[in-house]
Amino acid sequence: MSKKIAVYGSFETHVLIKQRYWKRRKDGFMQRYWKKTRRMKKVEMSGRYEFSGKGKDLYKAVVKAHRLVPKGFVDVSAEKFLKHPEKYGSEGSWIDREVES
Amino acid sequence: MVLKVHGLIEKWSHKSIIGYTDDETVMLDFDNTTFKTVRYWASKVKKKFRLGGFIILKSSKDCYHIVFDRKVSWRENVRIMAWVCLLSKHMKVTGWFILQCIKEGSTLRVSPKREKPSPRIVFRCGEENGQIESFLKYRKLIKNIIRKLKAD
Repeated sequence: MSKKIAVYGSFETHVLIKQRYWKRRKDGFMQRYWKKTRRMKKVEMSGRYEFSGKGKDLYKAVVKAHRLVPKGFVDVSAEKFLKHPEKYGSEGSWIDREVES
Repeated sequence: MVLKVHGLIEKWSHKSIIGYTDDETVMLDFDNTTFKTVRYWASKVKKKFRLGGFIILKSSKDCYHIVFDRKVSWRENVRIMAWVCLLSKHMKVTGWFILQCIKEGSTLRVSPKREKPSPRIVFRCGEENGQIESFLKYRKLIKNIIRKLKAD
C-alpha cells in the first residue's frame, strides 16, 4: 500500500534518564557504560505516524494519534496501531513548532 | 472546543499536522514562489515526463503544492523531483525533496497549520482520473476526519 495518511509534528514527552559510569576492565582499560535510571526528563522531539488502511480504521487511528505521540518514525497499518497503540506511541503532548512535511 | 476564529480564518487548534503520503504520485512543494513560476514548472514537468495532468493547491501566501496525474514508480518519482530541483535551483524545493528521499515517500499537508488554512485547489490542467483522483479521495477522507475532530 503506497497511499498513507501522515500525522506529524513536534511534541513533548518524558524519557528515561541514562546515567554514565566507568568500570575498569580486566586488561586495565577504563570502559564507559550506560545504565537506565528510574528518573524521567521532559524532552522536545519531532516524529511522525504513517497510517495505511481503510477509512474507519484511519479515522480511529488519527484520533488516537492526537493523544499518543509517536516513538520516532512509525510506519504502521491503522488496524495494527489500534490493536497495540502503546507499542507505537507514548504519553505526551503535541506542541506548536515549525516542522517540515 | 478545538476551533477558534482567527480573523476571517478558522484556526486549527490541534498541534499535530495531518498530511497525505504517496510514493507513486509525483508531488512538489513550492514555498516562497509566485503562482506564475509554479504554473511554469508544473506545465514543463507535465510535458517533459508525460504526466497527463496536474492540479495546483495554494497552501499559504506564495506557497503552492503541485500534484500530477500519472502513476509512477518511486524511482521515476525521485528522478522527476531531482530534475526540478536541479533546473529550478530552488533551495526550499531541494530541502523538501531531500526530506522526501529520506522518508521514501512524498508528503503534502492537508490539514490547517497554525494560522494557515487547508491547501485549496487554485488551478487544474489536463487529465484527473489517475493519481489526482485518489489524492482528492484521500483529501476528502482527511477533511472528514478533521471535521469530526473539530466537532468532538
